[in-house]
Amino acid sequence: MEEEAGEEPGLDRSTAPKDFHFYNMDLYDSEDRMQIIPQENTRMRREVVQAEDEQELGDEFVEESRMGVSGYLPYGMKRRDPTREQRDWRLGGEAAEAEDLGYGRWGLAGQCQDLREAYRYAHGRSSEEYECYVIPEEEDEEEAEDVFCVTCKTPIRALEKAFDEHKEHEVTPLNKALESAKDEIHKNMYKLEKQIIEMENFASHLEEVFITVEENFGRQEQNFELHYNEILETLAQKYEEKIQTLGQKKKEKLEALYGQLVSCGENLDTCKELMETIEEMCHEEKVDFLKDAVAMADRLGKFLKTKTDVEISAQPDFEDQTLDFSDVEQLMGSINTIPAPSAPVINPQAPNSATGSSVRVCWSLYSDDTVESYQLSYRPVQDSSLGKDQAEFTVTVKETYCSVANLEPNTQYEFWVIAQNRAGPSPSSERAVYMTAPSPPIIKSKEIRSCEEAAFICWESGNLNPVDSYTVELTQAETPEALGVTESVVGIPTCETLIQLQPRQCYTIYVRALNVGGPSARSDPATVHTTGSYFHLNKNTCHPWLTISKDGFTVVRSERKILTREPLPSKTQFTRCVAVMGNLIPVRGHHYWEVEVDECLDYTVGVAFEDVPKQEDLGANCYSWCMRHTFASSRHKYEFLHNRTTPDIRITVSPKKIGILLDYENSKLSFFNVDISQHLYTFNCQLHQFVHPCFSLEKPGCLKIHNGILMPMHITFY
Amino acid sequence: MALKQISSNKCFGGLQKVFEHDSVELKCKMKFAIYLPPKAESGKCPALYWLSGLTCTEQNFISKSGYHQAASEHGLVVIAPDTSPRGCNIKGEDESWDFGTGAGFYVNATEDPWKTNYRMYSYVTEELPQLINANFPVDPQRMSIFGHSMGGHGALICALKNPGKYKSVSAFAPICNPVHCPWGKKAFSGYLGTDENKWKAYDATYLVKSYPDSQLDILIDQGKDDQFLLDGQLLPEHFISASSEKKLPVVFRLQEGYDHSYYFIATFIADHIRHHAKYLNA
Repeated sequence: MEEEAGEEPGLDRSTAPKDFHFYNMDLYDSEDRMQIIPQENTRMRREVVQAEDEQELGDEFVEESRMGVSGYLPYGMKRRDPTREQRDWRLGGEAAEAEDLGYGRWGLAGQCQDLREAYRYAHGRSSEEYECYVIPEEEDEEEAEDVFCVTCKTPIRALEKAFDEHKEHEVTPLNKALESAKDEIHKNMYKLEKQIIEMENFASHLEEVFITVEENFGRQEQNFELHYNEILETLAQKYEEKIQTLGQKKKEKLEALYGQLVSCGENLDTCKELMETIEEMCHEEKVDFLKDAVAMADRLGKFLKTKTDVEISAQPDFEDQTLDFSDVEQLMGSINTIPAPSAPVINPQAPNSATGSSVRVCWSLYSDDTVESYQLSYRPVQDSSLGKDQAEFTVTVKETYCSVANLEPNTQYEFWVIAQNRAGPSPSSERAVYMTAPSPPIIKSKEIRSCEEAAFICWESGNLNPVDSYTVELTQAETPEALGVTESVVGIPTCETLIQLQPRQCYTIYVRALNVGGPSARSDPATVHTTGSYFHLNKNTCHPWLTISKDGFTVVRSERKILTREPLPSKTQFTRCVAVMGNLIPVRGHHYWEVEVDECLDYTVGVAFEDVPKQEDLGANCYSWCMRHTFASSRHKYEFLHNRTTPDIRITVSPKKIGILLDYENSKLSFFNVDISQHLYTFNCQLHQFVHPCFSLEKPGCLKIHNGILMPMHITFY
Repeated sequence: MALKQISSNKCFGGLQKVFEHDSVELKCKMKFAIYLPPKAESGKCPALYWLSGLTCTEQNFISKSGYHQAASEHGLVVIAPDTSPRGCNIKGEDESWDFGTGAGFYVNATEDPWKTNYRMYSYVTEELPQLINANFPVDPQRMSIFGHSMGGHGALICALKNPGKYKSVSAFAPICNPVHCPWGKKAFSGYLGTDENKWKAYDATYLVKSYPDSQLDILIDQGKDDQFLLDGQLLPEHFISASSEKKLPVVFRLQEGYDHSYYFIATFIADHIRHHAKYLNA
């Protein structure tokens, strides 16, 4: 290709390195190189223009596809450029590279744009051409009996008397020939159109590939840049270090030698002075000489005794200094690999992403990093008081997310992630705290209370640590139209709630616990029937002489020969009257229940506030409203007691089943003989608090409580 | 049996009317009061008959008891007849307040001179219901009865003598055992003669003993300070004992401090209307 050839000189220039410098500044002013791309660019433009020209000139649409090929050629050519340039950069400095890279990209982008425009233009044009092509018609079609010679493949005008030469030939009327020719052309056009679309797709695919290649190489370029700079810096540093050490050594040696020289000189002076003194002495008189000679001999002796250091303290040659290039070698060795990734960024926990035993941890990497795997480590977040370090766990994954399973529910875990590739591990990410969803709560089925309008549900958390809230889900079980529809009551802060319901329905109820990690699994279901009012007896209130049957609704006071002593006064437990209290749902509506009694039994039934004095008889205060039956000397006595008073009421038929209607709306409490639908009495009571059903047995016997039952029709009149 | 409207007043959305008609049974002009609740405009309603006490006319109940609101709410047609034939020119009919005019005792007299006109039992159990059924939007299948004092006695005997005819019965201070009280003795001997066995056919306490089943819910309110109770005219104890023995369902409420007046009735009238509504509207 001509472009490649045109670039040769530039290539040669840069592949031939100049002197090795730590900072090869001459790259900055390598004008030629800088020119490469713009030049190329203009050349590209020229070609595009040329292609357009060709288009305009050409009147066959085949030209179009040819254009497609020729138009894209420069792409491929262009793509090769960065690769080639890399060879330069390997030797070049960072600035030059960066500039080049940027330039190259710009050039490419611009070029692509040009090409695309050219392509579209050509395509648009050819579409117009199809239309033009289809239309042409012969002007003189009708007047002449023109024919078409199949053999010669030429039209013959009727006027032309050249008809003779086609005498033997197969001829068809011109119109027919025209039709078939048109058909043929149309077929071809259709094929071409298909081909164009395919080519377009292919082109755009190629574009994508180009971009990818560019990105990948760009990344590698950066990588190289990073590495080479590192090596160069290391080398420069080493050089500095070595030079400094060398200078130091030299200075030390010279200083030592100089010192020696000085002391040597001093010695010499002393020797000389001694010599002179001795010579002087030799000229003295004998007596003086002898005197001085003795002294001199001592002095000389002393002097000679002092050692004269003639050893050379410093060697002129320098010690063998091995150059340690191991780290540089290592850097060089790693030059063809990618750099170790930087620390990944761990994401905060996404809402509702956790289950009771797993969390989904996500993180991200810097787009420039190449990562082979991640090491995700975690450990439970510990109360500092416990001190002991919890075991850490590590998993290795390829993706930027990981579902970590087998965790404890409703527990905080600390996660951090390290990315790694051949070059090594990244620093650790920040630590993020994720929380597993809670364990499902456990509905206290035996404590569910309900009435026609509502249900009171309570549950055990199922989690040791507190959770954020609870959700109650309910489905109406028996209505086909509501099948599968689940209503949810969310954001319940405590382990109990009152839910509004439709009367006389059956509901299946589930509870979920929630924390930041998400909702727990559903609890086991509980069933609620909103038929009548349903309550349980509160065992905490039960007088010790009473026993509650297994089903929870029969209260028995057994015959005792030796009665246990009366219990101590209590706030919750009945201590004087042998009674038990039910736990009615706190809803201000209608509540109805029935009590089966023995006609001869002494009993008291009614309602009382929760804090009714437990050491008093029911009805003996303002906190309770009761019907009491006493049977003495074959006479039935019925009292409707509140605050120790009762109306004087005679009942001729002893009820075997007493219906009790509590009507908060009208502040009424009514008693009925269920079997004969007889109204016995109605209290008008100020119910400023919620009341609960009460049952008391004054003599041994039993009461059977029926609740969760439909209110009889006649009751609705009271 | 032409009805002549004497008065009509709107009350609690309905109409309180008084009519006069010629009674076949009593052979005199009789007035009765009828309350038509709002519900009667659109359909047939149950009928509740009220029997008044000694000396009363149809007016006492409708003007003093304050029953209209309850009757309006429960949709009951309430009929209050007079307490005896009037203007029959029977010698001695106006001589005393507890015998003759205003004291028919809801019996069919068998003695002269009363036996021609004083047939109040037949009037309230037969003629009047037929008249009402024929002329007003009432459901003949649903009727109940209640009353006060002598009317309470009347209500009880009507119900007890006609099992199934009345859906329910109630009474305010009824004369429960007329055979054994001064009023009863006077009236029964006058209307029925000296054979006390004939009296028992109109005595609630005796009727209970022969009542065939127990499908009747009886509500009785009695003022504790009722002078006639203290005088032994009412004798509810006898009735209660008989009912207990017979297991006939009675709720007897002895109301502290109340007397025999319409104030007492007005206090508990709503309970009684509801008692009847429970059975009439069931």
